[in-house]
Parts: sequence; structure tokens; C-alpha cells
Amino acid sequence: MSQASSIAMERPRTRSKVGFFLIAARIVLGLVFVYAAYAKLHFNGTWHLRDYYFLFAMGIDSYRMLPLVIVEWMARILPWLELGLGALLVVGAGVRWVGLVVSALLVIFMVALAHAALGGLEINCGCFGNSSVKPSRELMLDAGLLALALAVSVGGFLSHRARKSQA
Amino acid sequence: MNRFCVKVLVLIALGGSLLPALLGAGSRQSSLGTKSAAPAQDLTALKSAGSREAPITIEVFSDYQCPQCRVFYLDTARQLMQTYIPAGKVYYVHRDFPLSMHSHSREAARWANAAAMAGVFQSTEETLYSKQDQWGSTGKIEDTLASALSPADMKKVRAIEATQGAQIDAAIARDMALGESRGVNGTPSIYVFHKGQMTPLPPGGVNYSLLKQYIDYLLQQR
Repeated sequence: MSQASSIAMERPRTRSKVGFFLIAARIVLGLVFVYAAYAKLHFNGTWHLRDYYFLFAMGIDSYRMLPLVIVEWMARILPWLELGLGALLVVGAGVRWVGLVVSALLVIFMVALAHAALGGLEINCGCFGNSSVKPSRELMLDAGLLALALAVSVGGFLSHRARKSQA
Repeated sequence: MNRFCVKVLVLIALGGSLLPALLGAGSRQSSLGTKSAAPAQDLTALKSAGSREAPITIEVFSDYQCPQCRVFYLDTARQLMQTYIPAGKVYYVHRDFPLSMHSHSREAARWANAAAMAGVFQSTEETLYSKQDQWGSTGKIEDTLASALSPADMKKVRAIEATQGAQIDAAIARDMALGESRGVNGTPSIYVFHKGQMTPLPPGGVNYSLLKQYIDYLLQQR
């Protein structure tokens, strides 16, 4: 009896630990994405809402992977996409799907960073505006973020399934 | 009356002979100032193109042996200079930042600075970048320049390179110190100055079409 009750007590405690970790991971990931957007829109001590696109397009183009038309579109959209995804993660809305989109985005970033690192391109990754570091170092950070994003997404799907089965 | 006329004629003659001499002395002074002044002399103006009054200044820290600097010069900087400098819109400043990883880049920078002092910087810069493969592998910078510059210009450049070494080294060191103070650690590193604000462009060179869009945008902000 006492053994059964201790197991019963242990499960929720483990669950709450995992739940706490997932909430923390989601908020950290969200804040990183919000900061990434902020760094692209606010630099040199001022907001660049009208001209952020020019400099960011140059940064994306330095990877020499994409045609100019796509570079220009990515430069226009990406900061706002990062801001939106980051905000959704922080508030905890649509976590499992947002986690998946963020994971996909991070995989794309990592492919680009690996391409730059392997090609020996002496570029700034552009991930966090002017405060970015070299692609090889940013690759490690993105790998960590991808692990968090996958954990958040998988956790979101599992808790969604658990709630559905309870209902 | 006659004596007065004679005095006037003497004064005119003296003035006529002294004035060019004085002007000549002035120009010689300025050319001496260019060629043999103390190491404090700034060669920036001699390595620049366009008007200093232009609304946009673009400063490029580059290394003559760096492949990305070559691509930037040939694909972007040349077009930029052809389009915006005659119109007085851009002042383009070359800054030397020879990287230690390139064995001949410092020597190339020395020749380029000597060429700047001889007044043939633009053609020398063009030659160094367009023939980078040639001198980059052999280190024969002097031969490469001799094949592109006129014999008279080359003679001047050689003389300056041989006699003004300290001043040239000081000019390169000054450019490098400026770059280091801004955190430059690779080339090309490009800075755009507009309305008193300095904006560093992403390192590794910039596509002309994107840079043109940015410059046109800045020019519209006047």
C-alpha cells in the first residue's frame, strides 16, 4: 500500500519536473527568437523599421546560397516571423505547432551555417544582427536551440494527446 | 615721367618673375608636403575617390591579396564608383588592412600607398585586384604594376616606394589602428556614413544590387 502510494506520488512529481522544464525551455526559446528579431530591427542605438531589410539582405546574401529575389523576400519576412514565433512561444499559444515551425527554421539556419563553415566563408552569421558571431560558433548554439524546440514540440504533442485521452 | 614709367616697368617685371616663383614655391611646398612630410601625414585623401562633401561616405578596409576583397572591388566597388562618384553622391575611401595570413598583402599595400603618393592610386588598385592571381602566387608585385602603369608613373612609384618607406608604413599602421578600434577582424569591412551615423555592412563583401538599393534609400532621406 505504502509502496503503491509512493509510486503514485512520484509520477506527478516527475511530470511536474518535466512540465517545468518544458515551460522554461519554451520561454527561453521564445525570448531568443524575440531577441533575434529585435537585433535585426534595432541597431546602432535606434530602430530601423524602414531600412532593416537592406542590411539583413546583405547578410543573407553573404552566404551565397540563394538567388537575390529569395534573399530579398527572406530579409523582409524573417525578423517579423521570428518575432511572431518567439511571442507565441513566450505566451504559450499553439506550442506544439510553433515548436515544429521553429525546429524547421532552425534546421534551415543550421544548413546555411554549415554551408558557410564548410565553405570557409569569413562572414558574420547575421542571426543576431551586428552582435552575431562566426557561423561555426552559431551552429553550436542553433543545435542547442533545436534540441529545445524539439523537446517543446514533442512535449506539446504528448500533453495534447494526454488531455484528449482524459477527455 | 620717364623715370616713373621705368619704375612701373621694373615693378611689373619683378612681379611677373616673382609671382610664378612664389606660386611655384607654394605648389612645391604642397608637393613636398605630399611626398616627404613627417610620418604624421595622412594619405587618406590620396586613396579616396569623389568629393568629401558627398552625402554618403563609404569606407572600405581591404587587403589586396584577399579573394573576397577582389570580388567586392571588381563586382561592386567599380560599379559603385562609376555610378555615384561622378554624380557627387558618394565619397569612397580605401583603408589598408593587410591580414597577416596573406604573405604579400602588406607589400602590395606599400606599393599602393606609394602609387597614391605618385597620384596613380586608382589604376594601381585596379591592377592589384584584377591581377591578384598573378602577383598573389609569385609575389612579383613590382613586375605586375610595371606591366600596367606607364614607365614614367612606374619610375615615380618606385622612387617613392624606395625613399618614403617610413611614411608609407605609418599610413598603413594608421589605417589598421582605425580598423582595430572599430573591431575590424576580416576583410572587406565596409562602413557607410550618412548624416553623421556610421553603419557597418555585413562582412564578406556586398552585392552591388543590394548596396545600390541601400544607397538610393539613404539618398532619398536627405
